[in-house]
Amino acid sequence: MILDLHTHSIKSDDGRAKVQNYCQWIRAKSVPIDGFVLTEHRQFDFESDYSELASKFGIAILKGAEVETEYGHVLVFGVNEGLYEEFDFSAIGLSLENVIEKCEKHGALAAPCHPGRPRVGMVAHLEEHGIPDGVRIVETMNGGSRGDEDAVAAKMAEDLGYLGIGGSDSHIVSHIGRCATRFPAVLATEGELVEALKAEEFEAISNKH
Amino acid sequence: MPDTVSNIGEVEFGSELPSFAPDTSTDNTKRFGKYVGWDSPRFTDHEGARKEGLPGAIVPGVLSQGFLGAMIHRWAPEAEIIAIDTVFRAPVLADTPHTITGTVTDIDEDEGTVEIDITITNEAGENRVFGTATAKLPT
Repeated sequence: MILDLHTHSIKSDDGRAKVQNYCQWIRAKSVPIDGFVLTEHRQFDFESDYSELASKFGIAILKGAEVETEYGHVLVFGVNEGLYEEFDFSAIGLSLENVIEKCEKHGALAAPCHPGRPRVGMVAHLEEHGIPDGVRIVETMNGGSRGDEDAVAAKMAEDLGYLGIGGSDSHIVSHIGRCATRFPAVLATEGELVEALKAEEFEAISNKH
Repeated sequence: MPDTVSNIGEVEFGSELPSFAPDTSTDNTKRFGKYVGWDSPRFTDHEGARKEGLPGAIVPGVLSQGFLGAMIHRWAPEAEIIAIDTVFRAPVLADTPHTITGTVTDIDEDEGTVEIDITITNEAGENRVFGTATAKLPT
């Protein structure tokens, strides 16, 4: 199964894509993914129910979050109400190690995204803050990367022994699926996604042309 | 899909608008600055822009939006552009080649409106500007 692990909808302040249009686009353009994870900025969307859309289009639609830490932006998978109570998702400058610790406590998983990007990526902050404890997975393929950002991310992952995931970081409809992650099994829930990531059997892939 | 459309019924989901290379020259940004009353070197002079901490002269954001609007009107001459909503991810550097693209990602036939993904990319294929536009076409 191939999932785009990093997407934004109009729920994000800079997102311009409606979830229904993502689904239409995937089918109309035969985008080679089986589903996607909505990782809205600085929030978790408990309200929206995309199950009808998922069923209508035969596409897995999961939900996560993208939070902001002193090491840059971080994807969080497996968010639940317990985790949501642990820290302020809307804050900037969260402690990455605290986010990781709380995720582990509540069966979730945190993965720094676009780590090669200036200012909002992990590499830019290693010199100041050192290597953080607890990171196992980082996003090494990001559909919005410019220049050598993905190469910088891959180099850091190799040097520090991290595994790599892929996501498009799409903010508009036509960008979904540019990068994604392949899993050996079908994943239908956020919990199954977290378990698959913890099992460390996945591969980042790029569909960028 | 024809290069131009005249009404909403001719629009197909996923169709691409004819792309084009905008005139990003500093001659053009100077001309633009003259008409709108801007004379900042950040738009007209590479050395002056570098002194402001920029990598070189940049194309003004509203001029970039004008390029995007021009693409829509070339495609649908009778369209009324209701909104152009852009996210400026990185500067559009003057005197460097860029490409303007648009793709239809939503159609409301009842309202006669279309939503279009719009991008400005550089030669490396990097999205410098992206967003959506909403246009109303004759029914």
